[in-house]
Amino acid sequence: MLDEARISQPVLAELRAIAGPENLRLAAGELAVYARDATPLFRGVPDAVIAPADAGQVARILRLATEHRIPVIPRGAGSNLCAGTVPLNGGIVLSTARMNRIVEVAPDEMLARAQTGVTTQALNDAAAAHGLFYPPDPGSRTVSTIGGNVATCAGGLRGLKYGVTRNYVLGLTVVLATGEIIRAGGRLWKDVAGYDVTRLITGSEGTLGVITEVTVALLPDPAVSRTGLAYFDSLTQAGRAVAGILAAGVIPSTLEFLDRKCMDAVEQYAHLGLHSDAGALLLFGDDGDEAAVARSFERIAAACADCGAIEVQTAGDATESEALLTARRCTLPALSRLGSLTILEDASVPRPRLAEMVARIDAIAARHQVTMATFGHAGDGNLHPTCVLESAADTEGIARAERAFAEVFSTAIELGGTITGEHGVGAAKLPYLEQRLGTGQMALLRRIKTAFDPAGILNPGKLGS
Amino acid sequence: MTGAKLPQAGSIFDPDLLSRCISCGFCLPACPTYGLTGDEASSPRGRITLMRALESGTLPPDDPTLAEQSSFCLGCRACEPVCPAGVQYGELLEQWRGFQWAGRRRPLVVRLLIFAAERAWAHRIAGRLRGAARTPARTPASAAGPSLMLGCFERSLFPGVSRSARALAPELAVPARQGCCGALHAHNGEPERGRELAGQLGAQLPGQIVTTSGGCAAYLAAVIGRDRVTELSEYLRDRSFGEIRIGDRRARVALQDSCHLRNGLGVWREPRALLSAIAEYVELPGAGRCCGAAGTYALVRPRDSRRVLDPKLDQIEAAGLDYVVAVNPGCLRQLRQGLRRRKSKVQAVHIADLLRQAAR
Repeated sequence: MLDEARISQPVLAELRAIAGPENLRLAAGELAVYARDATPLFRGVPDAVIAPADAGQVARILRLATEHRIPVIPRGAGSNLCAGTVPLNGGIVLSTARMNRIVEVAPDEMLARAQTGVTTQALNDAAAAHGLFYPPDPGSRTVSTIGGNVATCAGGLRGLKYGVTRNYVLGLTVVLATGEIIRAGGRLWKDVAGYDVTRLITGSEGTLGVITEVTVALLPDPAVSRTGLAYFDSLTQAGRAVAGILAAGVIPSTLEFLDRKCMDAVEQYAHLGLHSDAGALLLFGDDGDEAAVARSFERIAAACADCGAIEVQTAGDATESEALLTARRCTLPALSRLGSLTILEDASVPRPRLAEMVARIDAIAARHQVTMATFGHAGDGNLHPTCVLESAADTEGIARAERAFAEVFSTAIELGGTITGEHGVGAAKLPYLEQRLGTGQMALLRRIKTAFDPAGILNPGKLGS
Repeated sequence: MTGAKLPQAGSIFDPDLLSRCISCGFCLPACPTYGLTGDEASSPRGRITLMRALESGTLPPDDPTLAEQSSFCLGCRACEPVCPAGVQYGELLEQWRGFQWAGRRRPLVVRLLIFAAERAWAHRIAGRLRGAARTPARTPASAAGPSLMLGCFERSLFPGVSRSARALAPELAVPARQGCCGALHAHNGEPERGRELAGQLGAQLPGQIVTTSGGCAAYLAAVIGRDRVTELSEYLRDRSFGEIRIGDRRARVALQDSCHLRNGLGVWREPRALLSAIAEYVELPGAGRCCGAAGTYALVRPRDSRRVLDPKLDQIEAAGLDYVVAVNPGCLRQLRQGLRRRKSKVQAVHIADLLRQAAR
């Protein structure tokens, strides 16, 4: 039914009338650039790209698409890593680029309201002007849109202490596939009227509706933010230190790890003078008032020392904190320079099993003869095993990497974890989703999908398909 | 210029450079043209996707989006410092334009400019008529001492700049016999001729080359080596000058970065430090973003050039400045014209001229 995705001339004329001719793109070159997002190996050329100005235009586009059974793929910045915005079946890419206005920041209610295409960074900057901040900080926040963050329930470095996107979404304006505009939630912290549609839409990856406006909760900007790092002989020891830190009553705002392979890559790229034979690097950070941060740093340093840290460094000020964070920030750039194709993956396990999981990943990589380095968020058990291949044309190597990752995901499930902690399912993880959810829940997902999108036009080939 | 073989799809780009991009999209917010359109096709990531489609034959060589986007790009390289994968976008654009703008497909105004730049004798005469700095004719550049590069267009457009540079640094030799650095050619479809000219200039001025043009500095450094090229504010970094006063207060000045100086050579602290020493320095929020001059861009795409410039002029006027300072002749011309159109009281000046004024 969705196979012949070519769009007829009368429908194109209507699309042109809805968004204006300058906001409908149809040329081969203009479409080619929307064939992919930040995920390698997934491609699908759309038949049209449209950039509507508001929810009203989105509603008219979706009604038309439902009537003519044309796939619609909502797209923010296209910075996701799960092939969530790849038009696998062609159709219309709906770009949110023009809906990019911050509607309000309300300091007395500690919330902000923004159109879907505002970047996460811009939203946070607007909050900062009022002494507030928006805690979720995905790595792509300078480019990612708040709508895209909600659609994928994006995480970030501060997840352990502050949670992820879903913990801050108060309300959403959503256009359903059938053209109704609904307002889920609102600006209230307490509101239990009805099913929690706001949370259902959060993380729905554009398969249930198109988000056009987002209301998020904000927190007071912490006065001080500081970073430190510790080296351990092994990830097992680092894992014990994580447990020790939490047992000491500290919930650090940042608790990241790098394995030896990541440290080697970083050192080769940035020459930071990282420890040359430690097995693991733990990066920790906390924020709050001066005295509280000093107190948690004492406890963190003590916990690291108790667990046999080779060396602990703490930053004296913001500049030194930035310098320490560099090691984590340049991990991906450093890894990506090892080859032409970088596959950055995402899985989570219960916190105490982190070291075990990394050891299993290493064994899997060795068995499949691929290079895999692992870094991630030690505080919430979220790992990013990253495979680097010399050439993007190495199909045999890609096949080996895919087999290795399939094992990584089933291992994560076996250890009580999940196939994605924060990147999303998209097209990339859909084949593994049933392993995680089971048949009953998969069927429920499909029924939910049908209730929102009876014609199945929204982001086909992703969740609920 | 003629007779060169046209590059063919499949051999237009250096494959190592083209494969570096990981499509993460971190370049999007840094790109001025993406800022104007919000369209992936006019972002660095989108343009690299287009280059790859051209190289692989997915898009035909005469595809109109290829032609449009290779021309719409300012070439400011603001995408390079924010790129986690280290993509050398400027190089890729040169290779792309080498294909898109080969021969007759090059915009007429660009052909005229290149024609003019090739007439070295004309620059010499124009420079002399306009009074650009020079040491007596036939003085050979010394291999040891530094010499001042006059530039091809700056010599006649802004002859005072080289005079100021010479006044600030009298030790600089200024041989009249020196050609174009080749950046114009390289950025406009003739990468090989560009390299040839840069090599020639390097031979004409055999020692350290000091330039008052950020764009020329970056290109020349890329061809003949960073160690031989110094932009004027780098060269003067350790010297001190007087003060610029307006009545009983220090003048308020802001810098407009030269894109290639900042993004290509990483030079942006030096001119700020110099200006902070002679006046009250104001950092404009978009100081590091392109002003729209972008080499030939202001002539090839005047409308888009103004769309890029306009928000910057708003910032300049809102900041209550006396001077906005350029470190590249193209930016100086662009700012001066834009401010004139608005009948603004803010003056656009070259850093050499302002430093000289402070030194008096």
